[in-house]
Amino acid sequence: METRPDSPPNGRAPAGDGTKKLGKRIEKVGHTAEQVWDRTRDSFSEMGDALDIKGRVHRHPYGTVAAAIGIGYVLGGGLFTPLTGGIVRLGLRIGLRLAVLPLLKQEVAELVEGLEDEDVTTGKGQGARRTRTRGEEP
Amino acid sequence: MEMTEKIEETARELGARVRPQIEEAKRRASALNDSAIGYIKENPGKCLVGAIAVGFLIGKLASRRG
Repeated sequence: METRPDSPPNGRAPAGDGTKKLGKRIEKVGHTAEQVWDRTRDSFSEMGDALDIKGRVHRHPYGTVAAAIGIGYVLGGGLFTPLTGGIVRLGLRIGLRLAVLPLLKQEVAELVEGLEDEDVTTGKGQGARRTRTRGEEP
Repeated sequence: MEMTEKIEETARELGARVRPQIEEAKRRASALNDSAIGYIKENPGKCLVGAIAVGFLIGKLASRRG
């Protein structure tokens, strides 16, 4: 069978055309990739501006790092684990203590003040002590 | 009476001995804190990515154990 350079065998297109098409396609892919990269970069910079990450880090450096650790913890699948339960329980206990202790202190201080006032009005001694113990009884 | 005086004296001596060490520790902690804050402010991206990675690892370990 005879083959000529202008008509390649098996009905394929000439080699020069294929190369040109391939080159165009590569160029197109490169252009598209460049566009995608530009858009991604723009959207990331927009997101960064919106979140004001640098400002946040400047204002609260430790807080931002702690928040990032928390995000990583959630992404790592540690949210619904016994460790999270323990951390939450510990936080609640500390928070409740911090919230309740000042209230208790205030109550005790008011109670002591009331007793002192009572002492002053009734006079110190056995009688006053009796009145105080009666007053404390519910 | 003598006993109390002795205890007081010992406490005073102990305080005088320990106080400079406490002051030094405070100074060091303060310097460490300053340098850590400076590093975080200079490299916010690195620190945030590192913190997310550390959190991710802790989360992974916690989920494996749970």
